[in-house]
Amino acid sequence: MKPENTGIKKTAAALGTVAGFMLLALILPRYYLYLLALILTTGLLATSLNLVLGFGGMYQFHHAVFYGTGAYCLALILTKTGLPAWLGYLAAPLAAALLGLIMGLLTVRLSALYFGMLQISLGSLVWAIVYRWYSFTGGDDGIHGIPVPDLIGTSRGAYLFVVLVTGACLAVMYRIVTSPFGMVFTGIRDNPERCRAVGINVTGHQLAGQVMAAFFAGVAGTLFVTVEGSVFPDMMFWTLSLEILIMCLLGGWFTFFGPLLGAAIIVVLRTVVGSYTEYWTLVLGVVLILLIFFLPEGVLGMIRRGGDNAAGK
Amino acid sequence: MKRLFGLACFCLSVLVLLPVAAPVAAKTITVGIVDCYSGPPSTYTNDVRDAFKLEIDRINAGGGVLGHKIEFVTRDSKFKVDIGLSAAKELIYRKNVDIMMGTINSALALAISDLCRKEKVPFLVTFAKSAKITGAKGHDYVFSITENTALAGKAAAVGLAKKPYLKYWIAGDDYEYGHAIADAVWNNLRKLKPQVTLLGQSWWKVGEPDFTPYITAILSAKPDAVIVATGGRDCVPFLKAAKATGFNKRVPFYMHTATELSTLKPLGLNAPEGVIGTSNYFFYYPESPENQAFVKRFEAAYKRKPAVGAIYGLLAARFIAGAYRKAGKVKPQAFIKAMEAMTVDSPIGKVTMRACDHQAMLPMFMGTTKKVSGYNFLIADDIVTIAGKDVMPGCDEIARQRKK
Amino acid sequence: MHSGGITFAALMQQVLVGLSRTTILFIVSSGLSLVLGVLRIPNVAHGSLYMIGAFVTFSVANFYGQTGFGFIAALVLAPLVVAAVSLVLERGLLCRLYDREHLMLLLFTFAFTLIFADLVKMIWGSDYRSLNAPAWLQGSFDLAGLPFPRYSLFLLIMGPLVALGLWLLTNKTRIGKIARAAAVDREMVDAIGIDVSRVFAAVFVIGCYLAGLGGALVAPTQNITQGMDHTIIIEAFLIVIIGGLGNIWGALLGAAIFGLTDAIGILVWPQFAIVFPYMAVVIVLLIRPRGLLKAIW
Repeated sequence: MKPENTGIKKTAAALGTVAGFMLLALILPRYYLYLLALILTTGLLATSLNLVLGFGGMYQFHHAVFYGTGAYCLALILTKTGLPAWLGYLAAPLAAALLGLIMGLLTVRLSALYFGMLQISLGSLVWAIVYRWYSFTGGDDGIHGIPVPDLIGTSRGAYLFVVLVTGACLAVMYRIVTSPFGMVFTGIRDNPERCRAVGINVTGHQLAGQVMAAFFAGVAGTLFVTVEGSVFPDMMFWTLSLEILIMCLLGGWFTFFGPLLGAAIIVVLRTVVGSYTEYWTLVLGVVLILLIFFLPEGVLGMIRRGGDNAAGK
Repeated sequence: MKRLFGLACFCLSVLVLLPVAAPVAAKTITVGIVDCYSGPPSTYTNDVRDAFKLEIDRINAGGGVLGHKIEFVTRDSKFKVDIGLSAAKELIYRKNVDIMMGTINSALALAISDLCRKEKVPFLVTFAKSAKITGAKGHDYVFSITENTALAGKAAAVGLAKKPYLKYWIAGDDYEYGHAIADAVWNNLRKLKPQVTLLGQSWWKVGEPDFTPYITAILSAKPDAVIVATGGRDCVPFLKAAKATGFNKRVPFYMHTATELSTLKPLGLNAPEGVIGTSNYFFYYPESPENQAFVKRFEAAYKRKPAVGAIYGLLAARFIAGAYRKAGKVKPQAFIKAMEAMTVDSPIGKVTMRACDHQAMLPMFMGTTKKVSGYNFLIADDIVTIAGKDVMPGCDEIARQRKK
Repeated sequence: MHSGGITFAALMQQVLVGLSRTTILFIVSSGLSLVLGVLRIPNVAHGSLYMIGAFVTFSVANFYGQTGFGFIAALVLAPLVVAAVSLVLERGLLCRLYDREHLMLLLFTFAFTLIFADLVKMIWGSDYRSLNAPAWLQGSFDLAGLPFPRYSLFLLIMGPLVALGLWLLTNKTRIGKIARAAAVDREMVDAIGIDVSRVFAAVFVIGCYLAGLGGALVAPTQNITQGMDHTIIIEAFLIVIIGGLGNIWGALLGAAIFGLTDAIGILVWPQFAIVFPYMAVVIVLLIRPRGLLKAIW
């Protein structure tokens, strides 16, 4: 297969998949559209985390704070200001990216666990402010009934919007990890000392990665608002961060599409098993353990093993 | 791009594997319940569900409603808004439930309330205490069959105004529920008895491990009485500390849920006496035959005494059945019309659903903790009943809140 | 919503309360620190073991009718039960995973938090549980004009005892020395013919024992409920990090910082008291990016 040929094929396949997902809007009942929209939103969030976790090797332990920031920014613009909605959709990811930059500047010189824990602390500060600032953010009650534009306010509209935005974001992120920047980024993950020795600006790359990951998490946040019409402080609590981290590990954190698959597995397990038993977390726990023992590289990591993987290890 | 294709296949196959909505028998009314059945709140929510089931079984055994059987499905929200909200969507979109019911989490109740408004499904709130649910954020499709911070606060104020105390101290959980209930008690008390003064306040975080320093500080200020605005799992350790420091013997204090069975039972005979509390229900009060019969049924089914949640569950079942019977058809609009101003019988007497804000007018019982022979835990004594109509905010007040 | 100035007496009270809270935090996080420092396992199930410790304490004490003897028996038995559970966990499953990535071990222990949470719900149900300290530990005594709860004093004595015991264990015993060596270079220790796997098992069990002990000690002061695991685990991790991985004294120092900022924050600015401990962690890590004291690795 010639390289340019693969490129075209990939583009065609991606476009075809997006079109396929859009066609589903015509045939599926709206509950399944909702579930798919939720999976894609969560999947986008997990993929954005994996940008720094899997490809950058950074212990991004409080990613949910960027997701929540994006969601809250959009929610506040839609409910408290008369600004047009598209401005909110634009401002929200930028706000998340800005927070990513600020937190990144503080955390980036720390390594591994220390990096992760400082991030958790900083993120918890943001969470505490949102949780407590009753008059502005709605405090622990959150904000509900957010007026999303009519076009994307219906289940179908929201679904199509989510498919398009997720598709576009995944394409951009895929470009990023396969670009020269992405190669360097992965190189830093595998051997930071050597990269530094050959004159690569390690901190700069890691900071840039952080900002990008935060940006896409912010986009995922706006999608959540579109789908659910609500925001609440749980969205930036550390437990959610742990959950999305688990999604990345479960799906395969050295692959590009692994986190998306991990998100799908967790959301579906929660919904399907949850409709049978109150003890669905027990089932989830057992499934996770089985996966660790039998699919050590994550689900997709295992499927892809032996195959070529431009983006992965 | 085998991966993308594989992913799409996976998603599709999962959708196919999802349990298909059970073929609904033509003649059923389905109630969807989303509530938190894990973690500390489940000590309250299990009673709602169990009493609801008990009453539904009775209604079905008596031929159901308009020839329909009532069925219900439950989903555990794990006290998380996102999980609860997607469970609610599952119940509405896929199970096509006729009525939604739940939950103890105010944020989730507000979220589901908004969903139900859009989907035109009636929603009965059975435990969330935020006054916004039927106040500022109320609408046609939401009903509350539980007290809220505004009602409890006013009831406490009515009860406390009758007592001789003038100098107060306020202490509580530093989160929305604590502040809301403290504000409601204090604002109403000041209106009813202008000469009361506030000596000071202390707030602690939820899950505070040791209340001794707060209690010492309060005692040194020598108030006549203390309003303790704490709820949920902090009630038990607070009462324990009150007993250890002799707080209850030196200064009387009011704590909304102090007399609840869920609070007093774990403490056994070690709970402090003389603590004033308010509740919508006790298994031993009112001492009416109707209540005794209900307690007997509940105990026979579940081998335990019903706590306050049980009355909400029972009322929910009676309101649902009553409203459909009154409407004469199973239609949401007719159901709402029938619910408004409807009165049902219950172990706590007749309860009316107020038309203007969809808030059930529940009586509040104010009592004082006491050791009584025959029980291996403390119960509420000297119970004063404060009628529902006396604690409800006016309809004009509700209208003003909603306009904002 | 806060009244008046802060009196010295109130401040002292808060400091003492903060310190007794420190004890529980220290005991739990020292166990976590050991496991994280030596085995490099980010054990998020540590909080679950703490919760199980508290529930078992309740059951044992209740079995003896909540007498003084019952409490002592529970204090001895509950951590042992937790240690036994962790031994099964380690030998049965965890020991097969040591060569995996850090984060996979995180995934593994996370799975166990889910499982333990549901098991606790199945076994103990959803009622609140309350346990009374034995009579000789109830009530308060006068300390310079301030009432100081006896149980808090008991905790203040237990903390340093545990710290001393741990220090002796890691510095003066053979197993402790091997463990510290293995933490730095596992292959090396393996090469000189020592069964590292067994040492790891012992360290893991000791770490989990401490989680159980923390749960047992906290039981009389708190409402024993599901969800106890959540609140403690994040605090324990932060303490371990600011103290220095695997460093016992670091855990003590970190716990003290955490407990005190928490207690004093309530006094200074109650509305935003929850941010104080996090703020302390941020400041510590910005000044000393690898914790206050020397980490094992």
